[in-house]
Amino acid sequence: MSRIADIQIPDALVAAAQAGDAAALEAIYGATAGPLYTVLRRLVRRPAIAEELLQETFVDVLEHIGAFEGRCPLPAWIRRIAVNRALMYLRSPWHRGLEWLDKDPGGADRLPSAQQVDTQPFDKGLERALMTLPALTRAVVWLHDVEGFTHADIGFALGRTPSFSKSQLARAHRRLRDLLESEQVVAEGAPCTLT
Amino acid sequence: MHPDMNDLSGRLGALAGFEPPVAGWKGVLAAREQRDARQSLGWPSLLAVAVLVATVSLGWWLQSAQRLLPAPADAAEIGVVPVAAGARAVNDRLESLLATLPERHAMRGSTAYTVAELEDRLALLDDRLSLVSLEPNAPERAEKLWQERVDLMHSLVRVRYADAVGTY
Repeated sequence: MSRIADIQIPDALVAAAQAGDAAALEAIYGATAGPLYTVLRRLVRRPAIAEELLQETFVDVLEHIGAFEGRCPLPAWIRRIAVNRALMYLRSPWHRGLEWLDKDPGGADRLPSAQQVDTQPFDKGLERALMTLPALTRAVVWLHDVEGFTHADIGFALGRTPSFSKSQLARAHRRLRDLLESEQVVAEGAPCTLT
Repeated sequence: MHPDMNDLSGRLGALAGFEPPVAGWKGVLAAREQRDARQSLGWPSLLAVAVLVATVSLGWWLQSAQRLLPAPADAAEIGVVPVAAGARAVNDRLESLLATLPERHAMRGSTAYTVAELEDRLALLDDRLSLVSLEPNAPERAEKLWQERVDLMHSLVRVRYADAVGTY
């Protein structure tokens, strides 16, 4: 899986995009859309919502790239927009009001299909364990452990304190550890069952 | 073996990525057009829709509160109050309101998904309502199902309203 932090966008391409060059903007989309979509899919459950958030993120980029000052790499700036949008969605009454729809097993929380994943081995146990976490907790885990956000960053983005982020992460780690352990016990015990 | 948390971060980072949506860049440009179109909607029309939704919501709330009150004995005795009359009335008002909400040709993916899901559930509920008279405790079941229908209709109106004004 390519990381947003690993994406290099030449300064000339950024300048062209800031000048309104459509081809440059599309090239930036092409370079960053995959990793950004992965982050969004990890934060929100529904693929349709993640797609929409990705589109809205790039609409924001189109509207505000002129204001990008280069204080951080452009992919990190775009990721910040995407993450803010996703967290805003997760915190919204709109999302909370429709959470009951997510209880339908056919509607959400599906594991990636064979077509969706790339060539890396499919860590099914971890995928499943991750999906059992509540949305905000999963967001804290992903942003901290994978995207490298600090607790201060996460707390600020969620409108909470860094301590909230820390406690959510500790609880999530404990839960993931328990789930992975129990899965391991089942997997190791399986060959010993009497047939 | 105890799964190590440092190892867990590594495993999380190594999880497979997702393919970006097929709509790609064209989808972004379409979303931008939609946003521009929403922003060009006049405030008066949005205000009118908001007032309409608020009125129906208030009616729905009052109807819910009314259900908690005991029914007048004489009306119940002479049987003039049909089963789930209150819920049916609210349902009719929500249906009328839904018909007035503009249906955009280019609905956003998640909205279309949610609308389809709510409409599926409504269809399923209508099917159950058509058979409810065969059930032993028909009046109670009908009351419950009609109330469920009102709740679903209310969700559908909220989704369609939010789509119309682009509030999420």
